[in-house]
Amino acid sequence: MRKTYVILRWELKKIFSNWHKTVTLFLLPAVLMMLALNVFPLLINYMSTGSLSKKPIILVSAPQSFRDYVKETADANVYTYSYMSFNEFSALFGDNERFGKQLKGGTIICFFAPGETDDSFDNAVKDYYREICGGNNSATSKAVIYVGFDLNSLSGGLRAQQFKQGILENYQNSLIDRLGGDYSELGSKLFSVDSFNPVTKLMDNRSVADDSASRIVPGMLLLMMYYCSYSLVSDMFASEKERGFWAKLKMTPVSASSIFAGKIAAITLIVSAATYLTTLLLFLTSWINTANDAMSLLPFGMMLTPFELLIVLITIPFTVIVMTAVCISTVFSLDKMQDITVNLQLPLVLFLADFFIQMFRGTRPMTLEYFIPMHNSLALISESYMAQEKIWHVIAVLAVNTIVAFLVMRSVYRKESLYDNRKRRA
Amino acid sequence: MITVKDVHKSYTKDTETIRGVSFEIGKGTIFGLLGPNGAGKTTLMQIIATLMKPTSGTVEINGLSPEKDLLEIHKFLGFLTTEIKLDPVSTPDDLFDFFAELYDIPKNDVKSRKEKAFERFGITPFAKRRISELSTGMKQKISIAISLLHDPPIIIFDEPTNGLDILTSRQVTDYLKELRNEGRCIILSTHIFSVAEELCDEVAILVDGKIVAQGTVAELTAMSGEKDFEDAFFKIYVENHRERP
Repeated sequence: MRKTYVILRWELKKIFSNWHKTVTLFLLPAVLMMLALNVFPLLINYMSTGSLSKKPIILVSAPQSFRDYVKETADANVYTYSYMSFNEFSALFGDNERFGKQLKGGTIICFFAPGETDDSFDNAVKDYYREICGGNNSATSKAVIYVGFDLNSLSGGLRAQQFKQGILENYQNSLIDRLGGDYSELGSKLFSVDSFNPVTKLMDNRSVADDSASRIVPGMLLLMMYYCSYSLVSDMFASEKERGFWAKLKMTPVSASSIFAGKIAAITLIVSAATYLTTLLLFLTSWINTANDAMSLLPFGMMLTPFELLIVLITIPFTVIVMTAVCISTVFSLDKMQDITVNLQLPLVLFLADFFIQMFRGTRPMTLEYFIPMHNSLALISESYMAQEKIWHVIAVLAVNTIVAFLVMRSVYRKESLYDNRKRRA
Repeated sequence: MITVKDVHKSYTKDTETIRGVSFEIGKGTIFGLLGPNGAGKTTLMQIIATLMKPTSGTVEINGLSPEKDLLEIHKFLGFLTTEIKLDPVSTPDDLFDFFAELYDIPKNDVKSRKEKAFERFGITPFAKRRISELSTGMKQKISIAISLLHDPPIIIFDEPTNGLDILTSRQVTDYLKELRNEGRCIILSTHIFSVAEELCDEVAILVDGKIVAQGTVAELTAMSGEKDFEDAFFKIYVENHRERP
């Protein structure tokens, strides 16, 4: 046990005394992932609009009720607005070239039309409520809000959709309070006072963010874990085997099992720490994403309960152990460094495929998936983000990964320890 | 101290790399294994160093069998080969401390042993430098210092002067003589005749995995009827080399 600790300490010292390695393992993959997450929406925006910046939403003839709504509603402040009178808009509309260019650039136009009357939008809505209160149940509102965008612009279309669902629908619902007044069927008052519950607000955000996170985060963590595991196995086993240092270690009065245990413990500690850091950064990425872009992969408000977080944190080291065992088995079943490197990198392709499948799949994990080593961690983490985890999932994942890691390592150990004393005595 | 009995080693079914090798080496002896490239020297050395298991036959170190007392054997076995490269990012200081812990050297002893070994090979000024920044000769000297930090009575050197310049080579051979005079048992493999002539109390010529001649350098030269050891080696080799298919 003491020798295992000596090996563990040595390996940790080796990693942390070399800033190059530390940065490569801890920061580079995490930062690259963060960049990828943040660059993705920008890239899509650029590809569809030709511009990196997000254009403001042009509000034409915006009524006072909407201006007030924007001032009072946090969600509405996600967007920037440019106010325009009808005459200004007419001038812009008349200039085909300028107008086309604006739309192509991802501009969204929101036009508040009062309908047939020459009155304002707000008055048109008030008339509607008045008619309803007067007993005209078949009354229809003449007021219309037109949302215009370029159909060829992917990000423009998505933003328009998000704006319609997230802002205009809520604005429409608020009109009964704002403009219905005494005429409202429900008898709403002109001024109402509501208490704000931040937890409810956060939970609303969470349901959206965690749904996205369950698609993105598990795959990213799995990729991160495998990348770090294989890099370290390559360094601690493959390289040492190639330069004969492994033989030198085996010549010491330390059993092969202690050497393996020390190195595996070091890899598990380092990779788990690096993955925890990535998890933290993913949370930060979500929580700083207040703009909540339509194409954002990690929307604002990603959150886990302490129990769900615990499951994620426990799953990580168990996944690392099985990944490490598989990598070690590859190292000791091949002789040439080139073959080892290629074979160690191959599973990355599988994890990448798993990541994309998870991103786009529309179904929950099947029972069988909890018994597929490594992939089961992806299923469990994903279910934790969806708050659908079950205790048997956790037990199955931890047990399967541990058993597989143990069996793989036992086979490697048997091959590697030439003089297995226990075997001989038996 | 080392007893090798009828050792055979095959990597494939058709070819035997080591064919029934037997010899014994006692205390205070330098035993040289001579042979051309591919004769099986490194394989035999690795079998003796317990890094490889023979297909058949036995090896005993100090009366102990690797089958039963592997870790005990490692306590008094020092193994060095130019093929072993130290961790490039570590410093000689760190490596020495690490291996000293693995060999259970008492903490009080580590410092004095390190100072002595580093002084002996002129490593002290480079003790805090990374291995990757050092010359080949210095790396080899550090490797020797670390391999022998536990003061092993049996030392196995595979091509100890391979790739070294004449000065470092001389330092290593002088050190080997010192170790012999201290009563240690040394087995070394080489294809450099001058090293064998200068150092070895007894040599065995390995051709195609088999010892075809064994004795002192003088005995083998006289037996072959040649005027020097190099010619004697060639004659013995030509007489015993089998054409492989």
